[in-house]
Parts: sequence; C-alpha cells; structure tokens
Amino acid sequence: MSVSVADRVAQNPFWFRDCFIMTMPIGQRAINLRELLHALHEVSDAVLFYHLFQYRLAITTPAVEYPNDFAVWAANSLRDPKLAEKLSSFDPFDYDNLEQLRRAMTDLLEEYLWDLPYIPWARPGMEFYFCEGATVVFRSRISARTLREFYETLKKVGYDSIYYHLFEGRWRLGMREKDDFSYWIETNFGLPELVTAIRNIDVYLYSLPEIQTILLKLLERHLGVPE
Amino acid sequence: MISLQDYAPIVGQEVIDQLQRLAEGLGPLRLVHINSTAAGGGVAEILHRAVPLLNQLGLETAWEVIEGDQPFFEATKTIHNGLQGFKVELPPELWDHYLEINRQNARKFSWEADFVIVHDPQPAFLIHEMRARARHWVWRCHVDVSRPHFPIWRLLRDIVGSYDASVFSMPQFSQNLPHDQYIIHPSIDPLSEKNRELTEAEINAVLDRLGIPRDKPIILQVSRFDSFKDPLGVIQAFRMVKCHTPCRLVLAGGEATDDPEGPRILAEVQEAAEGESDIHILLLPPDAHYEINALQRAAYIILQKSLREGFGLTVTEAMWKGKPVIGGSVGGIVIQIQDYHTGFLVHSPEGCAFRIRYLLHRPEMARRMGTLAREFARNHFLITRHLRDYLTLITLVRSPGSRVFEF
Repeated sequence: MSVSVADRVAQNPFWFRDCFIMTMPIGQRAINLRELLHALHEVSDAVLFYHLFQYRLAITTPAVEYPNDFAVWAANSLRDPKLAEKLSSFDPFDYDNLEQLRRAMTDLLEEYLWDLPYIPWARPGMEFYFCEGATVVFRSRISARTLREFYETLKKVGYDSIYYHLFEGRWRLGMREKDDFSYWIETNFGLPELVTAIRNIDVYLYSLPEIQTILLKLLERHLGVPE
Repeated sequence: MISLQDYAPIVGQEVIDQLQRLAEGLGPLRLVHINSTAAGGGVAEILHRAVPLLNQLGLETAWEVIEGDQPFFEATKTIHNGLQGFKVELPPELWDHYLEINRQNARKFSWEADFVIVHDPQPAFLIHEMRARARHWVWRCHVDVSRPHFPIWRLLRDIVGSYDASVFSMPQFSQNLPHDQYIIHPSIDPLSEKNRELTEAEINAVLDRLGIPRDKPIILQVSRFDSFKDPLGVIQAFRMVKCHTPCRLVLAGGEATDDPEGPRILAEVQEAAEGESDIHILLLPPDAHYEINALQRAAYIILQKSLREGFGLTVTEAMWKGKPVIGGSVGGIVIQIQDYHTGFLVHSPEGCAFRIRYLLHRPEMARRMGTLAREFARNHFLITRHLRDYLTLITLVRSPGSRVFEF
C-alpha cells in the first residue's frame, strides 16, 4: 500500500456498524402463486424489504443460489425453475423506491400467471410465510481514520456489517446509488476509480462473504497491496 | 459459577459487548419466565442456563414452575399432541381441569414483574388470572404448530390472543394472531455439563459404566420416549443397516415429569428391540447431562428421526460436537440440517437406513459434515445469540411499531 494514499488521515473517520435482524412473521402465508401475487399487492413495505434484502441475515443455505426469498420459494417449493430465473433476474437496485419495486414485481408475476394454464402450488409445509424484520444496529467502537485501517478492519468485521453498509443503510437513507463505504472514500480521499469499482459491484448477485472478499481485493488492487 | 465473560473465547468479545449494551438499554427490569417442568426437556434446560446469565446482565430474572396433577398433564399432553397435528380429542372436563389448575397456580404466585415470558401451552391460561401483575406478557411457543388440529388450536387461540406478543421457533409455526409475532430459535450452552469438552478417558468411563462397548460404530438417538421422536422407526432403520454393516444402536431417553405417555412408548421400544444385542436402550434420569455428553461424543452418527419437532436441540448438541446428524425433515430440524452440508434430512426409516450406510462407508465426508455443522451451530444456535434475542424481544415489545434500534 503506498504510504501517501493508504495512510492519509480522513477528515471524518469511518465508524463500522454491526446489525442483526429480528424476524417477525406477520401471520400470513401464500399456498400458491396467485396468493403470493395478491399478498404482494397488500403487504407493507417492511415485508417486501425483508424478503428482498433482510433475509440475507437470516439463516440461509450456504451457497446462495437465488438472490431473494421469492425466487428461492419458486424454485424449492413451487418447483418452477423458470419463475425462479425470472425472479432472480429482477434487481431491486434498478428502482427508486419500494412502491416502484412492488409494482414491478406484481407486474412480473401477473404476466407470468397470465400465460400459465395452471396455478403453481406449494406442497404442504412449503408455503410462503410473510415476515418483516426489526433491525438492531450497534455502533462499533472501532473507527478507521485511514484507508489502511479501513482495509484491516474490513477483514475482521462480520457479514452483518457488510450487509448493513451495503444494503440496509442504502435503502433506508434513500441513497441507493451510494453505499456507505464508497461514500466515505469519495468524500475523504477522492479516488474516483476505486469509488466507481466499489459502486460497480453487483451486490445483489453475491453472497455477503463473496462481497467482503471482492471489497478486500479491490482495496488491495487500488492501494497496491500484493494479492 | 459460569460468567458471561467465559463465553468470549467461543463467540468473540464483541458478542458479549453487544449483550451488555442491549441490557444497559433496557434499564432496571423484572423478568419472569414460567413453564411446567423444572427438569427434562429442552425448555427447562434453556432456562437453567439463561436465567443466571440474564441476571448477570442486570435483569432481575426469576423462573417459576407451575404444578399440576396427573389429569392436568394428560390434558396438556393432549393439547401438545393436538398442536403438533394429531387428531386428538380433549374432553371438556379435562379442558376445565386444565383451566382450574392454572387458576390454582395463579393463586399461589406472589410475584410482580415488568415482563413475563410464558413457555408453551401448559401455563398459558395464567394470563387470564394474573394480567395485572405484569406490564407485558409474551407467549413463547416451543412446539411445532405448523398444522395444529383445529379444535385444539381454537381453544388455545383465544388465550394466546390476549398476550402482547408471541414467539415461535420458525416462521412456519406462526399463526394469525392479533399481536406481533417473533422468531427466536432455541439454543444450547457450550459450557454446560451436556456440551462442554470431555477427555477420551471421561468418555470411555461413561460408556463402560453404561455397558456400551466401543467395538463398532455407535449410532445414537437421544430423545424422550415419545411417538413423535419415532424410536420404532429408528429401530427399523437400524435393522436394515445391520444386515450390511456392523454397528451399534443406542437409544437414550430421558424422562420428563410432564409426559405421561413415556412409559407406554418405552415398553413398545423395548419390545421392538427384543433379542437384539446391538441395541442398547437407556432410560436416563433428567440430570444425566454428563452421560448424554459422553454418548454424543462417542457416537459416529447421531440421529433425530422425528416425525414432528419444535426445534430439536439434540440436533444442535450433536452438531456442536462435530457429528454428522441424520434428522427427520420436519420442524426446526430443517433449519439446522442443511441437506448434504451439515447433515442429511430423511423422510422414512428406509431413508434413514440409507444415509446411515452412506456415512458409515464415507468417514471423510462424515468428518467434513461434522466440521461444517459445528461452525453452523456456533454462528446460530449458541446461548449468547438466544440471550441477544430475549433482550431484543423485550426492547421491541416495549416499543411497538418501531423497527430500527441503535445501540
């Protein structure tokens, strides 16, 4: 890491945050695709947010085959890989807010159902259970004042921290195009190439461990640490 | 006495710091847990460990146990079976007795609290008599209520509906209720007598004492003698395996004071195992934690072939000990065992037999599964995570409507 960039002291230190999600089922379930569509028209934004983003912090299969709960359900419970593919290609970061997102999802499902001669059903026990999440955020006691400290801390933080800074904060603060990490680097050090590279990570596609690895590699490459 | 700090080497110091911050955020608080048995079964075990730790975190925490007679426990066992989906019939006089025993217990209790957590259906009706004694009441359901028998659920639903919130072990168990619902997975304590590390000499001594030779790989199921745990299905699977590969089956069951069905099922199991010298049936007292620990550590494969399961803490215990687990694809077992990764999920005695044989012939895979299972248990199912969830539950119930909290 070149001394000038890596050890330059930021105007504002970066405070890492940890978080966890308390899952709250709303007592509603969908037994087939039509019920899922109807429910998606009605459930709160918090429910949509949980199944598209927050479920990543719940217990999931080790390899994330599909990037959201709806696609996982289509594949595993409805046994409809075509629908799972469509729901996987759907990227929530393409939309400005949850209302637009909801509209896009219901349009997708409505169109899909329109052409089907039957309604896909889940086997008993495999119904879709709607949940929302309560988020508990912990201000970390560790801050990074330089990019070297940032890099070293990023190696140690849990996946929940990666989730918080790349997903949770981004939507809640209404700054979808700017994640906390790249925003801090941009405002304190400039480094447009690194900032662009971080913002270009297709975060929705990757699992949290993968994102952490990619971020570390980007920092290594841009700051001259041998890989 | 075990202190909270003793968990830091296992889960990391930051986890302990987070617990302290959550507890500080709550301020002074009197918490009461209520259940129906002081020993035997997962709930009592969790409370034995969690209550002292909650006190260490500054919450004035008490644990109360309701008392009941034989007809009461017959009623609650029927309710329990009905909640788990059996088409049971509960005679009205037994239901009335259930209500009456709850009233009697309510008259005996003298505590007052800020927050009450009532575990399972047995003491659920207490709220009817004691509402004013605490500000917040939460019903914690440990049972697999994914498909309850409706006449039983209808009876209980009216009672549960009067609570401020309810807690289930999985989203699949949640119900249409007029209050907030939360998911809290149960947990195990890595420092308890049942889960702490043991030396090879300690393990051997216990097995010698119990009369179990270690000449063949041991297949173990630890659970109450309860039809939902399918001990007969386990024996059936074992007989299928034994034709091909030598091994030994140990069925180790505890007794719970609130389970009147136990002796009958035990007799059926003994009959099914008759004449088979490689099957060992052990009826252990509720406090045989050390023996269970040694058996689990001595086992090559651990089974939990349940037909219904609230969560299945025996699965968690086995995973924490780095063992491959073969479990019934029901209830909370499905969360813990990720098929082909942290164990195998099966749907029949035949499936169970096949996976036992599969692992007996693939020791390297069995080891790899066990290692993954241990890390999975560390991340999700240890008591520190459970304490965190209790503290968060209290925070959330006290602030209805809020969804983001910063500490």
